[in-house]
Amino acid sequence: MTRTNEPDQTALTGEAAAQTGERPRRRTVDVWLTGTEEPDYTDEASQEFQPDDTERELAEQLGSVVDDDYFIEEQPQGDDERMIVNMGPQHPSTHGVLRLQIELEGEIIRRTKPIIGYLHTGMEKTAEDLMFMQGGTNVTRMDYLAPFHNELCYSLAVERLLGTDIPPRAQAIRILMTELNRISSHLVALATNAMDVGAISMMLYGFRDREQILDFFEKATGLRMNHNYIRPGGVAADLPPGWRADVTEILDTLPRRLDQYDAILEKNPIWVERTQNVGVVTTEEALAYGLTGPTLRATGLEWDLRKSNPYSGIEQYEFDVITGENGDVYDRYRIRVDEIYQSMNIVKQVTDTMPKGDYMTGDRKVAPPPRGRINESMEALIHHFKLFTEGFRVPEGETYAAVESPRGELGCYLVSTGGGKPWRMHTRAPSFYNIQGLPIMMADSLVADTVATIASLDPIMGDVDR
Amino acid sequence: MTLPGYGLLKGMGVTLRQMFRKPITVQYPKVRETPVPRARGVIALDQEACTVCMLCARQCPDWCIYIEGHKEEQEPSKPGGRVRVRAELDRFDIDYALCMYCGICVEVCPFDALFWSPEYEYTEHNMDGMLHDMDRLQDWLATVPEPPGLQQ
Repeated sequence: MTRTNEPDQTALTGEAAAQTGERPRRRTVDVWLTGTEEPDYTDEASQEFQPDDTERELAEQLGSVVDDDYFIEEQPQGDDERMIVNMGPQHPSTHGVLRLQIELEGEIIRRTKPIIGYLHTGMEKTAEDLMFMQGGTNVTRMDYLAPFHNELCYSLAVERLLGTDIPPRAQAIRILMTELNRISSHLVALATNAMDVGAISMMLYGFRDREQILDFFEKATGLRMNHNYIRPGGVAADLPPGWRADVTEILDTLPRRLDQYDAILEKNPIWVERTQNVGVVTTEEALAYGLTGPTLRATGLEWDLRKSNPYSGIEQYEFDVITGENGDVYDRYRIRVDEIYQSMNIVKQVTDTMPKGDYMTGDRKVAPPPRGRINESMEALIHHFKLFTEGFRVPEGETYAAVESPRGELGCYLVSTGGGKPWRMHTRAPSFYNIQGLPIMMADSLVADTVATIASLDPIMGDVDR
Repeated sequence: MTLPGYGLLKGMGVTLRQMFRKPITVQYPKVRETPVPRARGVIALDQEACTVCMLCARQCPDWCIYIEGHKEEQEPSKPGGRVRVRAELDRFDIDYALCMYCGICVEVCPFDALFWSPEYEYTEHNMDGMLHDMDRLQDWLATVPEPPGLQQ
């Protein structure tokens, strides 16, 4: 890959684009791949990096110096004059409290700087204060559109340290729930992406159909969101009676609804014009910035953790990894629609082959004794108290477990020192990494494409800030 | 080659058909949905069953349960029998302003003193009103559905 300091001559200026009516051609952003020779400068689209200024950095970290303003270094005169526009954090189309500082040259975005931290709740720190059994209540609130994936990821990390075996039924329930969750999350992604571009009915339909899945979640877990259902050791409760009929109904209605979405969006000239060749990212750029999920697959790379690092027995089920070609907003939309079909396929297979058995591990060091035993046996009662007051002890060590969340690779890095609480928990949140791709996706694009690009990444700010 | 604007009309056809369908919205104060059996609406307390073991208060991730109690001597069941000591509940408050409805307290209770009730209409204009004392929690017990609930 070559990199030059020269400004790209082919990129049109604002006025020239307005005159010709041509969409400005995107300047590819050079990225520094790990292992290659270090570049002369480290200006990556917008983020300035000053390695020598350590004293100032320290002051910034301590909070005594606040520097989040964004200056134009060389102001060109005349038609090329640049302007900085602040978008968010209270903007409805930034999907939460994302703030963007956008440098405009006429109608064209030259640089973008995402600013995060407005929803920081210290969840990773809170996790150190909660026992492993309570941890699910915390992680489920990070990515609130995919709570089951967060719970599964945390549980997998804890189970990997414990070395516990999970019964097949619990594993199948986990897959059933996470795949249904992927459908509901993608429905919201489609709904909000279309709404940001102006298709209000699509927004209403998407939320309507998601509600059907949430109703099933409520039936199974008791809550629509933030379920605390997948626990270290299994799941909290067995599936409710009549679950098969509910899941079958969801699978029966969804294809009809997806046809409606296609009728609204797929060939709609407004939608196609506003999404094709917008927010383009290449495979190299996506890999260099750590983008995962539909954003990475839209560039054509077949990378899905469900195939490459199967978890919870998902390798038993047949499904395809959907990839795009252009890496633009339209491809990400198509991938989400097709992934809904794939997830439905998995859900159908799970429903057909749901094994019988326990939904919680039989390991009494992890799972509490059955309720019936407590009334009969003093030892069981003592064990119950011991387990819940001290929590189960997780062997010393560190581990990383990752699942494919609707937004990409969701990882949980867990360090235990042998106690009942994690010593450190870090979440590799897909939204956080995907947001980093905004500066390169939005470089040299039109202002009007900003909201379409943001929405196509489907960022969840609770996931970004944690 | 399709007609120009065909895709647009196709989408509008969907919305047009939708106009003649019955809306799925439930007009809440007039129409009410029945909560599911496992619904986590409000926590009910059985004062008789509670032994003041504090397990729920310790396990609550956001510490929204407040328990106080004392010990009382009971008459021996038979003449000449041993005097038994029984824990009596003085205070059992749940602060629903803090509660995040995770259900850990209900699950850990070893003596079946806490239950989920699907009732949900207990919001208040004042934050103080969200602190339910033991008598109010006892009243919820009448609304608890028959098991099987979330577990067992």
